[in-house]
Amino acid sequence: MVRRLKTLALALASMSLATGFAAAQPIEDELVLITPVAKTLTDPTLADFAKYAKETWNITLKTSALAAGTPVAYGRILEWKGRPEVDIFWGGESALFDKLAAQNLLARLEVPKAVLDAIPATIGKPRPIYLKDPKGYWTGTVLEPYGLVYQPKVLQRLGVPEPKDWDDLLHPKLKGHVAQCAPSRSSSSHATYEVILQRDGDDKGWEWLKRLGANTGIFTARSRDVPSVVARGEFAAGFAVPSYMAFEDRLAGFELKFVAPKTAWITPEPIAVLAGAKHPKAALAFISYLLSERGQRVAMERGVFPITPKFRVQGEPGSRAEMAVEFTGGIRSYFDIDVTNIYDDDKAQARYEQVNERFRKDIESNWETLKK
Amino acid sequence: MKLPRVSLAVLGFVLIWAFLIVFILFPLTRIFYDAVTNEAGQFTLGYFHDFFTDSFYLRSFWRSMVLGLAAVFTTSVIGIAVALLIVRYEFPFRMTFSYLTMLPMILPPLVGVLGFVFILGRAGTVNILLMDWFGLEAPVNFMYGMHGVLLVETVHLFPLMTLSILDALAKVDPSLEEAAEGVGASGWHRLWTITLPLTTPGYISGALLVFIWTFADFITPLVVGVQDLLAPQAYLNIMQFVDRRIFRMGIVISALLVVLAILFVIAAREYVAIKDYSSLAYSRVERRRLGPVKRWLAVGLLLLLLFVCVIPQVGVLFAAVGRGWALTPVPVHYSLEFFRAVSIETPKFIINSFLYSGLALVLCLIVGVPMAWIMTRTHAPGRNTMDALTTLILAIPGTAIGIAYIRAFNVPLPFIDVPLTGMWIILPLVLAVRRLPYTVRGSYSSLLLVHPSMEEAAANVGASKLRTFRDITVPLVWKGILVGALFSFIMSIQEASATIFLTLGGWEMIPFGIFTFYIAGSHSQAAALGVILIAVCAASLFVVNRIAGTRVGGLFG
Repeated sequence: MVRRLKTLALALASMSLATGFAAAQPIEDELVLITPVAKTLTDPTLADFAKYAKETWNITLKTSALAAGTPVAYGRILEWKGRPEVDIFWGGESALFDKLAAQNLLARLEVPKAVLDAIPATIGKPRPIYLKDPKGYWTGTVLEPYGLVYQPKVLQRLGVPEPKDWDDLLHPKLKGHVAQCAPSRSSSSHATYEVILQRDGDDKGWEWLKRLGANTGIFTARSRDVPSVVARGEFAAGFAVPSYMAFEDRLAGFELKFVAPKTAWITPEPIAVLAGAKHPKAALAFISYLLSERGQRVAMERGVFPITPKFRVQGEPGSRAEMAVEFTGGIRSYFDIDVTNIYDDDKAQARYEQVNERFRKDIESNWETLKK
Repeated sequence: MKLPRVSLAVLGFVLIWAFLIVFILFPLTRIFYDAVTNEAGQFTLGYFHDFFTDSFYLRSFWRSMVLGLAAVFTTSVIGIAVALLIVRYEFPFRMTFSYLTMLPMILPPLVGVLGFVFILGRAGTVNILLMDWFGLEAPVNFMYGMHGVLLVETVHLFPLMTLSILDALAKVDPSLEEAAEGVGASGWHRLWTITLPLTTPGYISGALLVFIWTFADFITPLVVGVQDLLAPQAYLNIMQFVDRRIFRMGIVISALLVVLAILFVIAAREYVAIKDYSSLAYSRVERRRLGPVKRWLAVGLLLLLLFVCVIPQVGVLFAAVGRGWALTPVPVHYSLEFFRAVSIETPKFIINSFLYSGLALVLCLIVGVPMAWIMTRTHAPGRNTMDALTTLILAIPGTAIGIAYIRAFNVPLPFIDVPLTGMWIILPLVLAVRRLPYTVRGSYSSLLLVHPSMEEAAANVGASKLRTFRDITVPLVWKGILVGALFSFIMSIQEASATIFLTLGGWEMIPFGIFTFYIAGSHSQAAALGVILIAVCAASLFVVNRIAGTRVGGLFG
């Protein structure tokens, strides 16, 4: 079985060969994801993969993505107890993937070695961000920073300069105008809370976060709501927003702006095949596709960055890819620049619950007082 | 002939109990089990201790109670006024108003509240107009806070109150009021001392629905940034699977909501039980003609009410056709692409919604109507439990039911080796269970008002219980049943919170579509689905309004 999969995977690695093997080794005709990654990134990639499957193996593939926030997706995978209703888990923190692998809920990633080798093991200094699992259960798919967003018109009205770094969100005139999601509800928020805490140390960090709480006008239910409420002008600025979510609001015609401060955490959006998946071949084929140039190009048009130095975000003038480059601050590849990362995921995961608890005690329960 | 019928009734009784045990009690025990055990499966009351010693949770608890009572008060004022006007007085467009005032209860999940925000938010139409045209410096905060939640709940839920009272009011014996008039009681005095007390059973069931709905609604508070209420806490915590301790607290809060619901139901039942004013039949109401000034005053008041009620619908409609709408009073760019995307390109949302809600409706009728009958007419064992169960279901946050179902029904069934959670039938099932109380309550409060002597008369001439039920009871109370079943259908097709955990690829209903589009930030697509949902529900309400209007004692004309 493993050998057959390897043969299949090898075939996928090279498109010219693939057609030849496909007749003998077709993939299943269905593929289901569970993912916190927004529809605006999953839909185009799945649609293009279905097209690719048709061209390559003449298979009419039925794809669907079950949208669920990271905690819900993780919870449902646990509840399925190895009898998953979906094939792939895409997005969230790599630490959660490690947890799933430790509970034997992930299948080993049998994609061609060349595909994985094209992805560097880590990125960033002084702390490395892992881009793939050394144990081989998951791999990163795209790179995306968790930055901040703002609505220029509202800022203008308030007389507040456009923010460049996290500290600019503490501007006194922004009181009641900042949107954020609680770190206990959102993985991007949690990671960015850790960025602040690890940047400033615990004492100063919590002081900083309390001041942000004092400026906060709404704690949204989910991280995706943060750019939405800012795009519509309900709030002036938003904290800890994945770049592509903000970019989608830009594509939808809103005047939203995005900044990734130097210390912004960059996630590799991990992906893995679930143990016991009903369509393992289609799942592996999808992952190989996503890491291929074709898949990476489709993703790059939605405001994320390639996971390998082989590609850069580039397009015709006026194209979506160029819009994305402009939107995310002119960067075409994170491998072109020196990535600063101060976020230590092991440390964050080890004290995950303590940070949530402290947030609840010092900020959530105390919000009315902080605002005064 | 007689024996098989009796055993048929017994069989029905047993089947109903089997349904309740398997699909309500069994999953619920799972929640209670989870609430009193830790991750290692050991018994503990530590979570409850944590709750009652935590000032944040206690404040959430207190604020939920206040909000629920406030909503009962506001919906009572509006609901009773509208019901009285429509039943007792003749004025222009009365029929049209009786229909239009029902419409606010169709507020699609999520986008309904968003509709309010689009119009009344900080960057909503009203504030933008105030700022651009009248030079207002800072936006007026209409929405963010408890007052925003109360506004939304009041507009959304007053029709529940109106409908509950309409039915009861139509059956108040006019001779009692005439007697009061005869001894010189003035209009208000008569209303306060005679008319309203006579509608107590209907009012209490309406108030209970409003209170519990407000108590269990988590979406509205979350959209307007209020998190320190019990239902949002339950929801937010349950959504948290990674931090297992917070997840447990969500389960614990859900369990507490269940316990509270039981207490409310018992209190309300005690109260109704000592006020049994049931008259023998629907009474034909003579409507008073209002004078020229008063009649247009009535029309004016109702128009004002409708103007407020239409705010969310207008907001949703604008969002569904507007592209990149921000910081302008109305959208600048218009497009029908969103409607095309959610209907023609992906028709599954609409198809699934009708299929599953239709099946749920059938299940509600099969199970709910006999339940109401058992509760009001028999001394069958366990009928009080049955009653408590139905109301209890209303009070449990949908997410808790969803979780309970996932945890309870994830074991492969014998012979087919597929768990129930892997089959689409679980969606109509969970919808039926969750919306069963409306059918039961609708039937129940009508049955309360049909005097048992009529059925006794039928029994005296030899009719079996089933036959009596079919030939005597149903024709007398069908309107209550219809209103209840209609509620079940409309609420099923709008249900989102329980199904969100259970939906798998290909089973998506409209509200799930709204959620997925909303989660992806595609508010316009979500709004387009919301408009479709409003249209479907408005049409169903219209049909029932017509049917009920032509058949029942001149109630709707």
